[in-house]
Amino acid sequence: MGLLDRVLGRKESSPARGKGDDELFDDEFQRKLDYLAVVSRKVFAGRMRAERRTKKSGSGVEFADHRDYQPGDDFRYLDWNVYQRFGRLLVRLYEEEEDLAIYFIVDQSRSMAFGDAQKFRYAKRVAAALAYVGLANLDRVSIVATAENVTERMQETRGKARIFKVFRFLTELKAEGGTDLGDAMKTFVAQNKRRGLAVLISDLYDPAGFEKGLNVLRYNKFDPFVVHIADPAEAKPKLAGDVLLYDCETGDEREVTVTAAVLQRFEKVYAEYLSEIDRFCATHQVPYIRADIQVPFEELVLRVFRRGGFLR
Amino acid sequence: MIFAGLPLAQWLGVLAAAAAFATALYILKLRRRAVAVPFSKLWERILRDKEATSLFSKLKRLLSLLLQIALLALLAISLGDPRAAATLIKGRNLVVLVDASASMKATDVAPNRLGVAKDEVKKLIRGLGGSDRMLIAQMDASITPTGPMSGDTSDLERALDQIQATDARADFPRALRFATDALRGVENAEIVVVSDGSLGPAQDSTGPVHLGDAKLSYVPVGKGSRNVAVTAFSVRRYPLDKSRYEVMLEVTNTGPEPEEIEMKLFGDGQVVDITKLKLKPGERLPRFYPNLSGASRTLEAKIQPLGSSKDELPADDHAYALLPERRRAKILVVTSGNTYLEAALLLDEYLDVTLISPRDYLAKGNEAKAEVIVFDGVTPSSPPRAHAIYLDPRGPGSPVKVDAEIKSPGFDKIERRHPIVRWTALDDVNIARGHKLVPEPNDKVIGGSDQGAILVTGTRNGFRFVALGFDIRESDLPLRVAWPLLLLNSINFFLEENASYISSFRTGDVFRIPIVTEAARAELSLPAEKGATPRKELVPVFEGRAVYLGQNAGFYELLAADAKPGAEGAAAGKAQFAANLLDREESTLAPVAELTVDGKKATAVEGFTVGVRREIWIYLLIAAVILTAIEWATYHRRLTV
Repeated sequence: MGLLDRVLGRKESSPARGKGDDELFDDEFQRKLDYLAVVSRKVFAGRMRAERRTKKSGSGVEFADHRDYQPGDDFRYLDWNVYQRFGRLLVRLYEEEEDLAIYFIVDQSRSMAFGDAQKFRYAKRVAAALAYVGLANLDRVSIVATAENVTERMQETRGKARIFKVFRFLTELKAEGGTDLGDAMKTFVAQNKRRGLAVLISDLYDPAGFEKGLNVLRYNKFDPFVVHIADPAEAKPKLAGDVLLYDCETGDEREVTVTAAVLQRFEKVYAEYLSEIDRFCATHQVPYIRADIQVPFEELVLRVFRRGGFLR
Repeated sequence: MIFAGLPLAQWLGVLAAAAAFATALYILKLRRRAVAVPFSKLWERILRDKEATSLFSKLKRLLSLLLQIALLALLAISLGDPRAAATLIKGRNLVVLVDASASMKATDVAPNRLGVAKDEVKKLIRGLGGSDRMLIAQMDASITPTGPMSGDTSDLERALDQIQATDARADFPRALRFATDALRGVENAEIVVVSDGSLGPAQDSTGPVHLGDAKLSYVPVGKGSRNVAVTAFSVRRYPLDKSRYEVMLEVTNTGPEPEEIEMKLFGDGQVVDITKLKLKPGERLPRFYPNLSGASRTLEAKIQPLGSSKDELPADDHAYALLPERRRAKILVVTSGNTYLEAALLLDEYLDVTLISPRDYLAKGNEAKAEVIVFDGVTPSSPPRAHAIYLDPRGPGSPVKVDAEIKSPGFDKIERRHPIVRWTALDDVNIARGHKLVPEPNDKVIGGSDQGAILVTGTRNGFRFVALGFDIRESDLPLRVAWPLLLLNSINFFLEENASYISSFRTGDVFRIPIVTEAARAELSLPAEKGATPRKELVPVFEGRAVYLGQNAGFYELLAADAKPGAEGAAAGKAQFAANLLDREESTLAPVAELTVDGKKATAVEGFTVGVRREIWIYLLIAAVILTAIEWATYHRRLTV
C-alpha cells in the first residue's frame, strides 16, 4: 500500500486468498460435482460424445482407410495383403480415439476480487466444476491463470482422481495484477501447441478490450468458450456525493459527484457494455455464458451443458 | 430606515467577517472520499459528458456561495434590528379588563362568552407592537391583575389563561379605577374592555369614574339574549313551628322570547316540587311555597327549558339556600310556678325545658348544662354562666339595677328593630305595676314607659340577658300572642336562631358569617362540582364573623381553626351557608354594542393586526430560513453542487 493510497484512504482491495477459500471445495461442493457428472452423461448422452476421433495411424481397433507408405512409417501398420494383391505399400489407418484438450483460463486480476471477492470465488468454483466434468469424461484438462499475462499453469491431466490437483491449484490462486487478455492469450497459445477448447472464465474488465484476447484464441484455432463472471451489484454501486474514484487494477483516478442521475447513467453504460460482449461473441460464434454470481454455480454449469460446445 | 440594534458599522463588520469565512470555506476544497471501482473505463464514458458541463458546474458552485452570503447578510442585518423611522414611536401601555362576571358564562357563542373574550385578547396579544406593554386583569366583583405589565407574548398568554368566570356581577367602576390608577403618568395609555357590556354605570359611591387621558376601547362579545333565571330564592322556618318552613322564589325571563321551563325544588337533595311555568318576555314570576316540611338543611331550586325554549346561561338556573340550623336548646326555668311561662315554652318542641324551684336552684345550682336560664321573680346570688331571662328581677343578683316601683307602666317606647320584639304588638299591653330598670352604659333599652325602662337587654360576663321589669301575671301580656313570641325571640336571640337568618348570600358581596371561635382564621370550603374535592381557603375571622368575598354560587362550609373534630353548629366553630347570583341585571344577556364612560364613547380596538409585527428583523430571519430551505432543496437536488 503506497503513501498515495494511504492519503486517499484506499484499502487493499486484493486479498491474497478469497474469504473462505478453505471451504471453497468442501464435501458439499464435491457431491455437487458428482451429481453434475452424472447429469452430464444422462442428459447429453448420444448428443455429445466424450470422444473425438481423428484419422491417423495408431492403436485404434476400427479400420478407417489406407494411405501410401512414407519413409519413417511404422512397418507394423503396413497392409501386407494389399501389397501381395496390388504390389503397393499401403499403410492401414485406424479411427483412433483422441481425447479432448480443455483449457480453463481463469482471470485472476484484482477486479475479480473486487468487493468481497465473490466473483473470484465463483470463477474458481465454476472452473473446478467444469474441470471435474471434463476429467470424468477422460478429457485432458489444463488450468491457466492469467492477469496481465499467464501467471500460473496446471499441467494437463485426466481422470476423475486428479480433481484434487485442480482444487489445490485453484485454492492457491490469488487475485492480483491487472488485466491484459491480449498478451495473456498470446502467451497461452505459444505455450500450448495442442489445440482444444479454451474456456475463458473472466469478468472481461480489460482496459485494452476483451476482444483482443478472444481473437488471439480464435486465430490460433482454439475453440474459445466465454464464461463471463458478472456481479449485478456492480451495475448499481452504492455511491453518493463527491468522491474520488480509482480503478482497483490500474489506479486511474477520476473526481465524480455522484447523483441519482449519474448512477442511472452508469447503470445504462454497464448494460451497454454487457450487450457489447454479447454481440461480439454472437457475431464471432464464440459460445458465451454470462455467469451471474447470484445464480448457484451448479445451475450455471448445467446452463453451460445446455448451451453446447463444452462437451462433444 | 433606522438600526435599533447593532450600529451599521458593527453589523457590516460582522457581515464582512462571515462572508470572508464562507468564501474561504468554498475556496478550500474538501478532500473527496476515495472509492475503488472495478473498471474505471465504464465511468469514463459518463465523465466524458460531465466534463463538457464543468463550466456550468463552477457557475452552480458560485451560485451556492452567493446564496450563502445572502443568507449571512440577512442574519447580519437582522442583528442591526432595522426599523422604519415612522414606526419608532413610543409603545402603547394597555390595561385589558376581561369581564369574568356570571353573564360571561353564557353559551350563546362557543365555547362561551369568556372563551371568545380570551380569543379576542389573544389576538390583541399577538398584534402587539414591539414597544407595547399590556396588563391583563380579571374583572368580576373585584379586580385582579393576573400577570405583570409586559410586552412578552408568553407572559401575557399565561396571564390570560388564569382568568376564570365567576358567579358574581362585575364591579365595573372599581375595575376602571384600577386601570386608570395603573396607567397614571404613562404615555399612550389605553384601557381595553372585553365584555358583553352588562356592566352597569361607571359610577360608584364616590362619583363617576374619570378616565383622564386614557383611551377607552371596547371589544364586545356575545350575541344571544334568551335566558330564564332564578332571581330570588329565600327560605325561613316558621317561628312557632320550626320543623316547617316556607320558600319564596322568583323566576324571571330576561330574554325577548316567551319561554317554557320546568322548575324543580329539592330539599336535602330530594325533589320536593316540580312545576312547569310559562313566562312572557321580561316577565318576573314569584312563587311562594308555604308550609313545607321534610328538608332539614339544604334547599335547591333548578330550572331547565322545555321544548323549543332556550336558556343560554346555565349559571343562574340553580339557586341554593340553607334552612336555619335546628337543635334542641336546654332551658332551665327557675320558678315557683308560672303556668303562662310554662305554657309558652311548650310551644317550641325543640326546647328541652327543666323546671326548678328557686330554693333548689339557690341551694344546688343547676346551670351547668343549661344554655338559657329563665328566672321568674328570683335572681341568683351570682351571675349565671348562661344566657338569662329575668322576669321581674329583684335583689342584688339582678343584671340591671331595679329602681323604684312604677304604677301602670306601658310600652311607650319600643326598639322595634330589635329581634326580640319582632312580630310583637306591645303598645297596648296593660301592666298593673312594675319596677323601673336602670341599664348600664352598654345595655340596650328595648321597651320603656315614660317613667323608665321596663325591657332591657345586654351582656354580662360574655352571656346575654333580657330583663323584663314586671311580673307578667300582673299584666295582660300572657293573654297576647306577643308573650310567647317575646319569649321565643329572646331564646333565639341568645342562640343565634333569630328569624333574620339569611338563607343565602349574594355572590359578589362580602360574606360575614357568624362563627364562635377564638382563632383569627377559619378554613372555608368553596362550592365544588358533585364528586370533586372542594377548594379550601383560609379566611379571616373578625369580631366573631368570618369575612370572605364570595364569587361562586353553591354551598360553603366554614370550619374554625380551633374547632374540635366532629363539631356541629356555629357555636362549635362550624358553619354552613349558601350563595347565589340572584341578579336580574346579570342574567340579562342581551349584549351591549356600545360602552360609554366619563362621556367618552369607547372605540373599537385598532393597531392590533395579528401576524404583523413591526420589527423588520423577524422578516429578515424568515427570509434567511426560506433561503436555507431553498439551499437545502437545491443541494439535495444537486442543482448547486
